[in-house]
Amino acid sequence: MKPIVFELFANLERLAGAAECRVDAGEETVTVADALAVLARQRPELAGSLERCACVSGDTIVRRADPLPADRRIALLPPVAGG
Amino acid sequence: MSHEVLSHTPVAVEPLLELDAHPECGGLALFVGTVRDHHEGRQVRHLKYTAHEPLAAKVIRDVEHATRERYGVPYVRIVHRLGDLSIGDVAIACVVRAPHRAEAFDACRYAVDAVKHGAPIWKEEFYADGSSAFVEGCCIRDDLDAPAATSHRHHSHTSHG
Repeated sequence: MKPIVFELFANLERLAGAAECRVDAGEETVTVADALAVLARQRPELAGSLERCACVSGDTIVRRADPLPADRRIALLPPVAGG
Repeated sequence: MSHEVLSHTPVAVEPLLELDAHPECGGLALFVGTVRDHHEGRQVRHLKYTAHEPLAAKVIRDVEHATRERYGVPYVRIVHRLGDLSIGDVAIACVVRAPHRAEAFDACRYAVDAVKHGAPIWKEEFYADGSSAFVEGCCIRDDLDAPAATSHRHHSHTSHG
């Protein structure tokens, strides 16, 4: 089991009470979608908000079907409201 | 291309205008979004903007570039404020210089809309009753399938800057 770190923003950060959330995941966790499923199981208070989040690695949006980023860090961006 | 597009300090509009440059331009369109004292019937005391800064900066630079290309205008400059803002503070400024006014207006509107809908920036409003809330926004996932995409990506936007 190796940790995956999710960076949380806006209402997601508020729901979790922290800016980061660490979950342990095994070898079977290979895609971004797999990682989100692990997060949803381990942090059910976040599960309902994940569908509308974009996932970002570095400064690039990654898709659910993409492989888990090599650094095992995913930023979860809820719907945006700038301006 | 190293100019600042996100600012943690108050935004000065004047330096963004570049009035001493672009002699080929006869039109300047400027949009400035400021902090409003109400939202959906609630009295707003102040607000806080936060961002995923690496992606937000990239998205705003991409919008500047795309706007120049799309409208054939030489100068598009956008700055979005982050941090704690009071009523009346500048939240976003967008300047377009163009040969004529039509493309200046059109390009300015396009650029502001694109930033609002695409840059990962969040607005937390603090109300007169002491509570606070994040303003409902736009989902920026690009891999939602058809049914979900229709309802999520294109939901109505009642807030405007």
